[in-house]
Amino acid sequence: MRPGVPGAGFALVAFAAVLSGQDFTQRGFLEADFIGYPQTAPNDSGQAIGEALFRYEAFYKLNSNWQFAAGIEARTDTHEQVDRAWDFSWDDRERRRPSFEVRQLNATYSKRKLTLVLGKQFVRWGKADILNPTDRFAPRDYLTVVDSEFLAITAVRATYGGQSNTIDVVWAPVFTPSRIPLFNQRWSNVPPGIAVDELRPSFPGGSQFGARWNHIGRVAEYSLSFYEGHNNLPLFNIQQPLPLTVDVERYYPHMRMYGGDAAIPLKGITLKTEAAYFTSTTKTEDEYVLYVAQVERQAGEWFFIGGYAGQVVTEHRSLFNFAPDRGLTSAFLGHAGYTIDTNRSVSLETAVRQNGQGLWVTLQYSQAIGSHWRATAGYTLIRGDASDFLGQYRRNSHALLALRYSF
Amino acid sequence: MSSRLTAGLLLMAGALSAQDARQIVAESQRRGRADSQRYEGSLEVVGANHKVSKKSWQSDRLGSYGNSKAIIRFTTPAEVKGVALLVVNHPERSSDQWMWTPAIGRDRRIAQQDRSTRFFGTDFSFEDLEERDVDQFDFKLEGDEAVDGAACWRIESKPKQSKSSQYTSSRVWIRKDNYVPVQYENYVKDKLVRRLVEKDIQNIQGIWTARLLEMTDLGRNSRTILKLENVRYNVPMKDDDFTVQALRRAM
Repeated sequence: MRPGVPGAGFALVAFAAVLSGQDFTQRGFLEADFIGYPQTAPNDSGQAIGEALFRYEAFYKLNSNWQFAAGIEARTDTHEQVDRAWDFSWDDRERRRPSFEVRQLNATYSKRKLTLVLGKQFVRWGKADILNPTDRFAPRDYLTVVDSEFLAITAVRATYGGQSNTIDVVWAPVFTPSRIPLFNQRWSNVPPGIAVDELRPSFPGGSQFGARWNHIGRVAEYSLSFYEGHNNLPLFNIQQPLPLTVDVERYYPHMRMYGGDAAIPLKGITLKTEAAYFTSTTKTEDEYVLYVAQVERQAGEWFFIGGYAGQVVTEHRSLFNFAPDRGLTSAFLGHAGYTIDTNRSVSLETAVRQNGQGLWVTLQYSQAIGSHWRATAGYTLIRGDASDFLGQYRRNSHALLALRYSF
Repeated sequence: MSSRLTAGLLLMAGALSAQDARQIVAESQRRGRADSQRYEGSLEVVGANHKVSKKSWQSDRLGSYGNSKAIIRFTTPAEVKGVALLVVNHPERSSDQWMWTPAIGRDRRIAQQDRSTRFFGTDFSFEDLEERDVDQFDFKLEGDEAVDGAACWRIESKPKQSKSSQYTSSRVWIRKDNYVPVQYENYVKDKLVRRLVEKDIQNIQGIWTARLLEMTDLGRNSRTILKLENVRYNVPMKDDDFTVQALRRAM
């Protein structure tokens, strides 16, 4: 585990405080969540979790060419999913969520058709909404698998082009892994009575590189993308030194991706599709194709997204992996929302396995209170067979109550 | 003979009326032209239940009508701060629109069929935020009518075949003294669905500008009042700042 940067976040806040004027803007929120699980899990008896998150982001435009962005997060919880150390995290390699984190810190240089972003930043590729096979520079926090959040990466990103055609080149010198569920908690599904000894993970050296060409046409938008680097989701080396003890080592296989995506407005609906072919020089990693096709429509106060995600494994080589992107394939995916009025809305998100062995549904109601407060109540239902990616979490259905103060 | 003459005179009158109406709208647009415009907008959305929600945005526009580009960026409330809409208007067809949502780090093209939906909880639809070039509509002068005591031309406009619009037709009232549009009524078939009233007209840098716009959604019985503050014309702006790529540089 790499050391953090003590005090770095406070320096950011102090820096932001001395800036003012129209070229400076800031935003953030403080959120308190309560999560209740009706059922215990074999390796986790905890049923009630409290979490608190503070996020602050500041942006400063120095002149027409230079712009800076900085963001920090501070969080805590009652279930030790958050580290208790007081260091600032930069690279998101900690096993638990860091208590203090530099969320982003980057400088943007733009001149004519060139935009250059240097530093810790979010990079999002793809056009689909529920599953993005081409979104390779977007590791996630999967600590609670179905409620994931994106993590920033340290990278240099150069985008060149006008409105119609853009070339996007990303080089990430430092690997940022996705955060996977803790082995001693309910989202890992370790059988009861098994002690897991988590060995030091093997993070890959070298850099990650990717390029994407995007075209915006009069009728449709489409892109082609390429990625060469490592998968941010791990494979596992598992050894059993003693009968009820396993040693687990995470390692991150090489990945090369050839992908594409398109958004095509048709009469009445918009068709979005995204697909990628993954190869690897790592002998224990699968080679496969992921694809998603979805339609979307907004009508009145409603919006609907519905589609199908699939997978074709061209070479099966892996034994133990954690792959929620592949876990959501062979499934029908849906997202719907209804705006009741200016302050209230409801939404529903779902994945239903094609063979009926897994189901995930999240229903949420959200209400703004005044200009700063928002309350959200929701329930996530997970059902299915233990052998299914979704079904294995069937004891993790949960209720959520969240209160957020935005500023 | 006399019926032919009557029909001919009627046709001629109709052509003149259409020509006059088009000329009035064209003159109105000519007088409103500027290289660019910037303003800060404060919005009050008054729902059918009389609940009020407040928002604000900053609007930058490069060019005028047919070939203009605009970015609207929310500045409050806090939870939508940074959400931005890019509108690229075209002289021969409806606009292209993209929305940037910083919370998910994604831009999304607003499809043509989705333009009738409300823009972020206001009573403006996405289509209402595009600029209407005079060549995209057929016009008909319906007569004279005063609005708030000011003499106006009342003109009906219908989108041409090339123009795809949620509205079947619209009526616009244009003041005779300064050619400023002061009221719009938008119809779906024969039903009035939205009304836009423009008030507090001031001369800013030689351009008569309505600083208070009130859009009423008659179906929902809600209205949005948009006040324009710090309106400035001909502010230096760059074409490269009005692209999807630039939209992602949202602050």
